[in-house]
Formats: sequence, C-alpha cells, structure tokens
Amino acid sequence: MKEEIRQVAIYGKGGIGKSTTTQNLTAGLAELGKKVMVVGCDPKADSTRLLLGTLAQRTVLDTLREEGEDVELDAILKEGFRGIKCVESGGPEPGVGCAGRGIITSIGLLEQQGAYTDDLDYVFYDVLGDVVCGGFAMPMREGKAKEIYIVASGEMMALYAANNISKGIAKYARKSGVRLGGIICNSRNVDREKELLKAFAKELNTQLIYFVPRDNVVQRAEINRKTVIEYEPKSGQADEYRSLAKAIDENTMFTIPTPMTQERLEEILLEYGLMDSLKDNYAI
Amino acid sequence: MANFAGHVEQPRYTCALGALQTVVAIPRAVPILHSGPGCGDMITGFFDRSGGYAGDGTIPCTNFNEKDVVFGAVDKLRKNIQNCYKVLDTDLQVVLTGCTGGIVGDDIQSVVQEFQDAGKPIVAVDTPGFKCNNYVSHSHVVNAIIDQYVDKFLEDNPERSERNTVNLFASIPYQDDFWKGNLREYKRLLEGLGLKVHVLFGAESEGVSEWQQIPRANFNILVSPWYGKPIVDHLKTLYGQDYTWYHSVPIGANATEDFLRQVLDFAFEQGANISRKAAELFIQHEVHAYYSEIDHLASFITEFRYGLPRYAQIIQDAGYVVGLARFLLHEVSIVPEELIIADNTPEKYQEAIRKDVESISEKRRFRLEFEPDAGKAQQILRDAEHHGRGIILGAGWEKDVAIDKGADFLSIASPSPIRLVLTTNYVGFSGGLRLIEDIYMTALSTYYNK
Repeated sequence: MKEEIRQVAIYGKGGIGKSTTTQNLTAGLAELGKKVMVVGCDPKADSTRLLLGTLAQRTVLDTLREEGEDVELDAILKEGFRGIKCVESGGPEPGVGCAGRGIITSIGLLEQQGAYTDDLDYVFYDVLGDVVCGGFAMPMREGKAKEIYIVASGEMMALYAANNISKGIAKYARKSGVRLGGIICNSRNVDREKELLKAFAKELNTQLIYFVPRDNVVQRAEINRKTVIEYEPKSGQADEYRSLAKAIDENTMFTIPTPMTQERLEEILLEYGLMDSLKDNYAI
Repeated sequence: MANFAGHVEQPRYTCALGALQTVVAIPRAVPILHSGPGCGDMITGFFDRSGGYAGDGTIPCTNFNEKDVVFGAVDKLRKNIQNCYKVLDTDLQVVLTGCTGGIVGDDIQSVVQEFQDAGKPIVAVDTPGFKCNNYVSHSHVVNAIIDQYVDKFLEDNPERSERNTVNLFASIPYQDDFWKGNLREYKRLLEGLGLKVHVLFGAESEGVSEWQQIPRANFNILVSPWYGKPIVDHLKTLYGQDYTWYHSVPIGANATEDFLRQVLDFAFEQGANISRKAAELFIQHEVHAYYSEIDHLASFITEFRYGLPRYAQIIQDAGYVVGLARFLLHEVSIVPEELIIADNTPEKYQEAIRKDVESISEKRRFRLEFEPDAGKAQQILRDAEHHGRGIILGAGWEKDVAIDKGADFLSIASPSPIRLVLTTNYVGFSGGLRLIEDIYMTALSTYYNK
C-alpha cells in the first residue's frame, strides 16, 4: 500500500530564503525520484518561479476572481523541473482584502478540484513571512501539513520569527498532529552561526536539520530563473541542496516545539553571537 | 456580540449593525449594508415588524461572499450605491459595515467620499458587529450623520439660532418597542411648554430637513440612563449646545411632572423665551386630567385589590427598569421586587443607576441586577419567592417564566413576538394611564374562563 502523502510547510521570516530553499530542496527530491507538488502560499506568487522558469502562472485566486469557482485544474497547475507540480495561491493586491483568507480559500479549492493525487510523495507549502493570522496558519491545520520546517539564519530577527512560528505550531500540535521537523539554516555568514542555530534548535526541542552555506551561485541561478540544481548541477551548492533533500527525506525527528520567552531568546543570542562580536569590535 | 459580557443567552439587543434601525427610523432614509447576506436578515428578524422606507426588510446589501473577503469589495459597494440611486428615491443613505467588511478592512469611507463629493446625501459608519452592541452603535450612527451630513448645512442653520428649539434624544428606535408613541408624546409635552422640538425619528419628525436644523436648537434633552450620551456630548463640543439629562423613562404623573419641570428650568437657564405661566398651566392641566382618571379608578382598585398583582418583576434596559419601578410603586401600588437591567450597562454608569433605584423609596430596598444574560436573569425571577399574585414585565421570552410561576405577564420590551405595538406610548401622563390599562387588562382577562 502506498504511503500517505508527506505534506510539508516551510515557514520563516520574510526574505530569509524560504522560496529559494523550498524550490532547490524539492528539485533535489525530484532527482531522488520523488513526486512533488509545491503550493505557493504568498500573494506575491513567486514561490515556483525557479521550478517553472517563469513567473507567468495564473494563480488559483486570479482564476477564482475571473471565472468563479469552477476552476479547471489544468489552468492553475503547471509542471516544472522534473515534473514538479506547481501551484500559486496568489492573493489580493497589497492593502486590500484578506490574504490570509485567500490561502484558506485556495487550498480548499485545490482539494475540491482533486489536486492531491495519490501518486504524490510530497506536497510543499511555501508560506509567506510570519504567522500573522489564522489564514497563514492554514497549512498547519488539521488534514494539511504534518511537518513544518522553519528557515532561519543567525540574525536576531530571523530567530524571533522562528520562535513566534513555533508558538503557532505548538498551538495546533495537539489538535492537528502537526510537528516541527527542524530548523533549516540558510546561512548569512554570521559569527558562530551554526553553534547559535544548534543551541536555538535544542532550546526549541528540535534539531538543526541542515546548514545551507552561503554561495553566490544561488543568486546567479535565480537571475536565470533556475534552481541551482538545474543551473549548475555539478556545483558544491547543488550538492548541499541534494543533501538537504536527503536529510528531509530521511528525517524521523518530529517534535512539538517549546517556544521560549523573549528573555531566554535574547540570552541565547548574547551567549552565542552578538555580544561577542560587539566585544571584538570594541577591542579593535 | 458579547461586548464585555462573555457568553450571553438570549441577549435583548443586537450587534452593532442593529443601528441600521436608527437609519430605518428616519423618514425617507435608507441603510446600505456592506455585510454578509444574513446580517440584515438577523437584525430585521430581531426587531419584528420593523420595515423602513425601502420596503419591509428590503435593504440594499453588498452580500459579501468569499471572493469579496479575499479581494475586498469596495468596487462592489460602489456599484451597489450607484444602483441604489437608480431604483430608490431617498433623502439620505447611510452605509454600514458588518463584521466581514470590518475585518477585511475595506475602506468604505473613501468610496462614500466619492459620492459625497458629487453632492449626494450619503454617510459611512463603521459598525462591524463585534465592535459593540446596538445601544452603543446608535450613537455612532447619529454622530456620523451629524458629522458627514448635518454639518454641511450649517450655513443655513446657524448654531443655537432658535432660542426655543430643542433636539430630543430619547428612545432608541425599534430597540424601544414604544419609540414612535413615546417620541410623539415627548413632542406633545415639550410643545406644551412652548418649545419647538426635533424628535428626528419617526412620523413626528420632518425627516432630513429636521436633521439639517439640529444646529439651530438652543439646547438638547437626553432622556436615557447612559445610551445616547455620546450624541449630546458631541453636539456640545460641535455646536456649543448644552444639555439637560433625565436619567430614566418618565412614566406617569410624578416622573413626567418632574421631567417637564427639569426641562423648563433648564430652558430658562439657557435663555429660552417662553412663558412660565403658560407652561405651568399646561402642566397643571395634564396633571389634573391624569388624576381625574385615577380618581375614577379608585373605588374599583379598592374593591378589587386582592385580585390584582401585588408585586412585579421587571427585566428591561436601565431607563425603563428605573422608570417602571418608580411608577408601579408610587402610582399603581404594585411593589417592584426583582429589577433586572439587561442592556449591558457600562460599569461607569452603574453606580448612578443604583442611586436612582435607591431614590425610589426611603423604606423599601429592591434587588437590582445588571444581567444581560437572560438565562441567569430568568433564574433570578424563578428563584424569588413572594407572597400574593405577581406580574412579570419583560420581553416576549419571559412569558415562559410567567407561565411556570403562575404570574401575570406583560410584554414591554424587545424582542416581542407576542405583541404588536404601533403607536402606543408608555412615556408621559398618557403613557402611565396606558400602562395601567395594560396591566389591568392582563389581570382581568384571567377572570373569564368558560
């Protein structure tokens, strides 16, 4: 019997590299022969650009707005790199309407239209920024994503956001069975970043599942609308993403996070990074 | 809906959107709802038989659906307003938001502004249901009309330019079942003192032309324990009109005389040019007429006293509870017992209301409860044991309690599906007499069983 689809949601601070990480990671999974669908849950609708090689995809909500609820799956679901199915939820223009409700609406529509086919091994939800309201928590609610990964870096605000997102996960964990699979570090080359992230993950009752080093090839690939795996398949960075894909595919550590107080978070930050660098600076 | 009170069983008020009835009560005005399709239905269903100018229960509405939530619905609202102008010839349009529009954050003010700039008599008010109840939002709606409509006519209606004119803020339309009759009686009484009165709502008002003249009034009258106070406060700031505040609903001779004298004294303080002698003659005439009725009734009451209710339990808003208790004790010889105020009175006004209740009698103390939850309130009525025959004065929902207790029952509050009220008033001298008629009819009708 076929295993259940692994539904995975990727959260993290805005601009941290969720979409880039998700697309490279899913490209890695596709190389392993996995069937993957990526659902972009961001009104900007740029979560599948690297997989499709183009931004020109009609979003679920555009279709809903223009044609009503009889959405044809073909119109909104496009295949990208190695057969990865790509969907963009889309949303209202900035400043109007309710993007959170948009995500609820579009995931509902995808289910209705039978987008979740049995041949899929993975569905990835790439969710924007912080969990600011119920709509953005949609992918972690009952029947949706069971695994969450948080993309973070050694920067203070990224860790604040990760801690906040963990509060959302802890809230839904008991009812919906959602679990935190780990923290993915998208490195910003901050001092002692790996140690800091490890300590942070431990305090959160989770793991640093992978440390993705910083490499400019990622930016070059992005400009060319490609994942690194497609753009420079032999590069070291492509192998890093392959390893990340493997780590996630083989992951067995799923926990309910234990979010920390603001005070505790700041203690960890002082212990591992910021304060030390300040001292060093003063020493100079 | 909870509005500070947590879970509430059978609330006797609605959510903020209930103030759409405030608009319905203005002749030739129409509310336009920016809300889900069920909201208006819920409100008009709560206030039975409450149709307005656009037709019974027919209210233009944007019928918010899922698409509108996601993308916002200001374009839909704009179209809705344009279409209203095609099919309805109205004097004033008031756009009210429901919860969905409020949460999504649609900028209704800017849409309405477009029509205002084009010279349309249109007003926008933010009334998402969760914001407050309709006792509170009534003031928001009135103040919005003053700011966005009335104020535009200020040049032709200079502030306080008519010494003998007053604006009256008393019954909340439809929330007070007897609002039409009450406003008519207030108007008659105040005109008897020599004043010109803007009642603003119902058939006794002149519609929008009366609203435009609000600034002309020399002063304002507020008859209410708390609701409506933001209106007179606002007018004081805006047009420098001071106000006289009568805390409870004046029912019967004592309270009505007291109310009229308070207004009369205040009118002179404010420099009104009316005749005290003529006003006094009017009051005397009214008092005399009232007591001659009571005189005629006296021998009947004496003979029949054991067949009539001895005590009363009252559940209504603060203004009525105090007014009814005072009237029943002093003018009908029915002893008020449990007094339940169900309007979710803000805490800062409760102490003054307690003092009003204490002032009803030097000898008797009453059980006063601020309880918007009807389950708890009705339990208080059920648990109370008193000698003799009782009567419950409340909303239609209290009839069950009355049947279970074997008490008489008179419907005097919303919602009241078992009573039709058209122009009946309980305010004033005539209102007191009418209330005596109703209480006696309730009791007497139990004596004929075939």
